[in-house]
Amino acid sequence: MWRLALQQILHDRVRSGLTTLAICAAIAVTLILHGFEQGLYVQSKKVVMDRGGQLFLAQAGVANFLAVRSSIPQLTRAAVEEVEGVDEAHPITGFWVIYGPEGNKFPLLLVVYDQLGGPPNIIEGQPIRAGRDVVIDIGLAKRFGLKPGDPLVISEFEFRVSGISSGSSALFSTFAYVSYDGLIDLLIESEIAPDISTFPIVSFLLVQLNEGADLMKVKDRIEAQVSEVDVFTPQQLAAKDVQLGEELFGPIMGVLISLSYIIGMLVIGLIIYSDVSARRRSFGILKALGFRLSHIARGVLMQTLLLVTVAFPLGVGFAWLVASAIEWNMPVYLVHVLDGPGLIKTLLGSFIMGLLGSLLPLRMIARTDPMLAFQVE
Amino acid sequence: MTMIRWILKTLWLQKGSVLGSAAGVAVAFLLVIIIEAAFVGESRQIVAYIEHSKADVWVMQRGVSNMHMATTFVWDWKLRKVRETPGVKQATPILYVNTAVKAGGKNWFAYVIGLMPDGQRAGPWSMARGKAHPQAGEIILPAALANMGNIKLGDMAGIADQQFRIVGFSNNTFSMANSVAFVTFKDLEDLISSSGTVSFILVDAEEGVDPKELARRIEANVEKVAAIDHDRFIKNDFQIALLMGVEIVSFMTIIGSTLAALIIAFASWSQVARRKWELAIIKTLGFNNTALYMAVIIQSLIITALALGLALLLAALLVPGLSAAVPIITLEVTSAALLRMTGIALIIALLAALLPAWLVARVDPASAFKV
Repeated sequence: MWRLALQQILHDRVRSGLTTLAICAAIAVTLILHGFEQGLYVQSKKVVMDRGGQLFLAQAGVANFLAVRSSIPQLTRAAVEEVEGVDEAHPITGFWVIYGPEGNKFPLLLVVYDQLGGPPNIIEGQPIRAGRDVVIDIGLAKRFGLKPGDPLVISEFEFRVSGISSGSSALFSTFAYVSYDGLIDLLIESEIAPDISTFPIVSFLLVQLNEGADLMKVKDRIEAQVSEVDVFTPQQLAAKDVQLGEELFGPIMGVLISLSYIIGMLVIGLIIYSDVSARRRSFGILKALGFRLSHIARGVLMQTLLLVTVAFPLGVGFAWLVASAIEWNMPVYLVHVLDGPGLIKTLLGSFIMGLLGSLLPLRMIARTDPMLAFQVE
Repeated sequence: MTMIRWILKTLWLQKGSVLGSAAGVAVAFLLVIIIEAAFVGESRQIVAYIEHSKADVWVMQRGVSNMHMATTFVWDWKLRKVRETPGVKQATPILYVNTAVKAGGKNWFAYVIGLMPDGQRAGPWSMARGKAHPQAGEIILPAALANMGNIKLGDMAGIADQQFRIVGFSNNTFSMANSVAFVTFKDLEDLISSSGTVSFILVDAEEGVDPKELARRIEANVEKVAAIDHDRFIKNDFQIALLMGVEIVSFMTIIGSTLAALIIAFASWSQVARRKWELAIIKTLGFNNTALYMAVIIQSLIITALALGLALLLAALLVPGLSAAVPIITLEVTSAALLRMTGIALIIALLAALLPAWLVARVDPASAFKV
């Protein structure tokens, strides 16, 4: 049966090529959608993990880094640094601003940092050296054609792009990094806050421990001694952000991925149906030779499985190419195609699609008259 | 005409296969329609607060020109100057923060609006149940959350370390990215450690005053503020929300369209391959390749039109059903999106006809005489 299925595939190579392409495209659509969803979560996780520090402190009651307002009193930093086992607590602040000309505005998270929490991977230009310097993500640089040395005007305050980093995007937007000097200049010149002392200037604290200090013990100590903050390991906070992303994007992505599976099933069903319909005479001969419907059905199923087996790696390759094109063109997005569980799920889904798809033409085979074998084409 | 009749007859004889192809293409189209509908629907919900507040002019920190994901601080003494500007009937300040609200065990992204005791005009515009104006320690949440999160009046909702009693559920304030929640101005001030500032001022103009002119007057009268009329403010926010998804929509349109083109090409190619003998006869009867190409294009167009019709029908059925079944998703299909889809479908049909046309050109008329 396997040989028969293989011969059927090799008999008409153009047709088989087109068939494989169509199945491969259907698989790629599923993988891209899945990769897009996973990319959102990977980015959410990465931006937390990249901040540095062994512990992440947020305002009490706040359990996320992204898209959540956290405000820690400035004096808390000193209180945290007094806790046994804490070496240093580095402040970072984040607030959303809108950048761009009329008609092409884009949200970006302005991350203000002192020593820790800055851009993880500068790919062009220099780190921040002066108050007006800003390091922007490649996503923003590409979108607006910005390069080191260019001005970046936020709230009528002109920063200067000193460097471009990669991997600082999440939730469809990008990060820009400035120093506390830059923030204070921005606040004063823009008259954003009437009194800087009341401006929420610390959003999170990144804690570095003394050498040899026990992470969990220090975490417990901070929680017991400093009531203004909640303490997380970066992994814990990242997991919370991923969970938030799943709650928000899971439903819509679920609908889209389900649709892509339906497409796949219909594509495979259509292909096998057309194939069966074109080979009715061959099936008539098989029936005339005494082959039972179950035998023929098994042959059709094997042919489908062979096609899916060939199309799957091609689909992965195609999806990877498209994902790379998306990421190269729009680095704001990450399409995480090569995700183990996602690949396994899609592979299983593809075989199920193939199985269901090959069931569609069974009725036609069952109704094929063995007399067809004796008719002239 | 003869060729068209032949094509129609051929397609009719293979209706199962044609319907299967059309269904596959239709779902590919549907995928693109739903992705765009999700972004448009979400963007529409994001501007719901601005749309329904109906302030003639919005005043905010200079350099800011929208609400979604923006941060703005306006000194509170500027409120008096706004109120003193000729043509201003009423000026209502709000404090605003974009954050997560925890209710029913889940986190929801929200615009949290801090309302002054006399700030009812900036509050919810339609209530499902409960109070329309919060007191200290109280919060008003979107009614959609009550159903999704199994939340009821009197339950608690958390923002950071503060707990608020839910006293009202408002209509049409839910969105996946930005629901709208209302608390008191003072509570929000405490929550974000802010004082002496407001975020936005909602200005109502006196009767007969042009909002655009009033906006200009406010900007001239009050230093370092931006004043934007209602229509432009909505446009700005809608654009930002839409821009965040436009690239993904474009990419998915390309991917979905490629898939659709492949399916149509496959279906047309199968039809042509199956009818090679008939095509050879047609060629011996004197029909030239142009007539046959036209036939192939018409075949491709018919499958595409069938698929498009099916996709629109499925969208008409699925979109309201999906929004009802999964309230977290707001879908909105626009006529512009459908028109674009139709244009894309036409291009796909033509592209998909190329391969079968090549096959048609290669058919040898002499093969008609082979048994």
